[in-house]
Amino acid sequence: MRAFSEPAKQRKEAIQKHKERGGQVAAVLPIHYPRALLRAFNYLPVEVWGPPQIINRPSAAHLQPYICSIAHNALSFLLTGGLEPADLILAPHTCDSLQGLGSIILDFIKPRQAVLTLYLPRGGEPESLEYLAREIQSLYNQLELLTGCSPSMADLAESIHREEAADRALSELYQQRLVLPLDSPAFYRLIRSREYLPAEVFESAARDVLSVAAESAQQGGTPILLSGIVPEPMAVLEAITTAGGYIAGDDLACCGRRLYPPGASPAPFTRMAESLLHAPADPTRGSPIQERFEWLLDMAHRTGARGVVFYEIKFCEPELFDLPVLRKKLMKSGVRSTVIEIDLNDGLTQQNLTRLEAFLEALQ
Amino acid sequence: MKDPSLARYHLSVGLGRAALRIRRWQAERKALSAKGWNSQALTPPLKISPYTKELVARHYLEGRYANQGRKVAWVTSGAPVEILKALDFYVLYPENHAAVCGAARLAEDLAVQAENAGYSRDICSYARTDLGALICGRTPVGSLPRPDLLFACTNICQTVLAWYRVLADHYQTPLIVIDTPFIYQQPGEHALGYVQQQCEAAIPLAEQVAGKKLDETRLRETIKHSRTASQLWMEILESARHHPAPISVFDQFIHMAPIVEMRGDPQTVDFYAAMLREVHERIDKGIGTVKREQKRLLWDNLPLWYRLRNLAEMLGERGVALIASSYTNAWGELAEMIDPHKPLESMARVYLHPILNQGAGHKLTTLQRMVTKYQLDGVLLHSDRSCKPYSIGQMDQRERLSKDFGIPALLLDADHNDPRAFSEEQIATRLGAFMEILGV
Repeated sequence: MRAFSEPAKQRKEAIQKHKERGGQVAAVLPIHYPRALLRAFNYLPVEVWGPPQIINRPSAAHLQPYICSIAHNALSFLLTGGLEPADLILAPHTCDSLQGLGSIILDFIKPRQAVLTLYLPRGGEPESLEYLAREIQSLYNQLELLTGCSPSMADLAESIHREEAADRALSELYQQRLVLPLDSPAFYRLIRSREYLPAEVFESAARDVLSVAAESAQQGGTPILLSGIVPEPMAVLEAITTAGGYIAGDDLACCGRRLYPPGASPAPFTRMAESLLHAPADPTRGSPIQERFEWLLDMAHRTGARGVVFYEIKFCEPELFDLPVLRKKLMKSGVRSTVIEIDLNDGLTQQNLTRLEAFLEALQ
Repeated sequence: MKDPSLARYHLSVGLGRAALRIRRWQAERKALSAKGWNSQALTPPLKISPYTKELVARHYLEGRYANQGRKVAWVTSGAPVEILKALDFYVLYPENHAAVCGAARLAEDLAVQAENAGYSRDICSYARTDLGALICGRTPVGSLPRPDLLFACTNICQTVLAWYRVLADHYQTPLIVIDTPFIYQQPGEHALGYVQQQCEAAIPLAEQVAGKKLDETRLRETIKHSRTASQLWMEILESARHHPAPISVFDQFIHMAPIVEMRGDPQTVDFYAAMLREVHERIDKGIGTVKREQKRLLWDNLPLWYRLRNLAEMLGERGVALIASSYTNAWGELAEMIDPHKPLESMARVYLHPILNQGAGHKLTTLQRMVTKYQLDGVLLHSDRSCKPYSIGQMDQRERLSKDFGIPALLLDADHNDPRAFSEEQIATRLGAFMEILGV
């Protein structure tokens, strides 16, 4: 079983190995994008969720202080050479802040790498599906121009199947969460290795873990759900364990909201679009609050979670808008919740730790 | 009239309209004598002002009783409202209502109500103002009608999507979303098709709520009114090319209400035709908005609704006229794209292209173009804490304007509706230093 104790090192190794095999690297901003398309062009998608705890002064010359730390850090990382290993930058349209970031990178920063964008539709089906399929096709055309390669439909299908296999393994990890011999930090290091590992490598690592699943629950403590964008600093996971809780399920943008079901269409672009659009409820995709509530409540029932920790990044409007209604609905259904607001560059503050401990005590 | 509630609606609205007309006449008489105007720096407001007040008050008066006689839709300011207008919906714009609260200095109190209910202070202050009004039931316009339909278009921000999801959940009302893909540099043809398809798909649901079929002739007529009103609005804005400029950005902010919330109505066309006549009159008489215009500036982003007069005075005292705005310009610059003969296709094109739905580079080009067109001496960029899509990019835009094009530009930190994010002293100091650079 592979150990994912040093994500930064693992990430570097994955990039290095891919490059040694003649591949290229695409730095991808959050959240949703067609991994299979990038892989079909031999780009390894490596996601940029911040990264946390870096000096974000360079971005302050371009972004106001009321823009979230994900956007700030990503830009600072780019400006200080952090994205140098990348040959391409993909900026999916996730929210107003990442929209703006993508726009200023394209128009003003103009990095060495090509910058491509992807708009994720928020309209109803079938219009959204048709649009997204065409948007992915347009991305294909741009990659074709950029690389001079034209992956065939069969190549695309193969890449899609590889990603779908990895997504299935990811879902199984979640389903068997309780019986896996991994504490929360180890579990999330594994889950989040999907952000940089090739699908087949991730699948193999996941299968390794799944093969040693126990028959009875391996986790003790008060089960809770973790909701939000990204569990950074990762110390929060240890803090939850220390305070007597364990994360029975999550509604995190980088994790549980990306349990993509396989698409159904034989047409590759449509199939990729189906998979992205049919992922669990997500405020950045415009999911109705009721849908999010039902998803969370169902997860709480399935996992026995007694409460939800909304772990929110400051200034994240899509998340913040839903909270009052969502929390009220959960409360009415007997699921308590708390909100912890963080900035990617702050450590886990004592104030937040206390709040977390108090919440877990109240649940116990 | 058989339906008693409809009869009550018409009676209430009819009486209210008459009262508002009388109030307008009184205000017009007072304005003619220019009594009570005590500014040393600014010329008296446009004579059309009582007319604007009447139109806006009438709009909210109709809203007060709308649930008795009409179907009500709440819409975002950039939504293709012509569909709803042609279906006889009473249309309410929560953003405008929030601005009215802001100008009436009620926004802070209402925002606090929303914050007490759990809404973060980091979300848009328009949304907090309206959600606060919804929670406590207070509004300067009497009361707001309950929506039968919610209609949100993402061409101004993704915030509206989150906001309208909250409203949809609160009112258990159908929500139509017209999603307009953001144009980073060039729009794809598939984006246009996508918006048009959504407009087409919106019609049956809107018809179902309205209880009637959409009459295509009526839709064309409504679109024609939108186009004419937008053209007139643009002409009014362009009048500021004259020296001295006959209207200021503050006038534009005050008189833009009809183009936003009454777009598609014939009376909006009449109103802007009358306003244009007055503006021409001012030009003929050489009346400027500032008594001794020395420098001319552009305003980027939404206004400070709670400080319009103070800011106008502060600038006017130094002979600075704020005469062009990328924000008010947005309601007129797309007029020529509107084609009543291709209703849905042209609606899709127009509503896809607002400045807020286009990249930061496009906005820089627009600012530069406006500086040349209006012969401006500098740019004030309002870094609006509540409007991220408008504000991101301003730091680079300011840099480019100053360094690449030699146009002095200043970033002012504030918020369009929440005065708690506004520091009087800081703004005064920064503006003072900027005016020294301008030499006034």
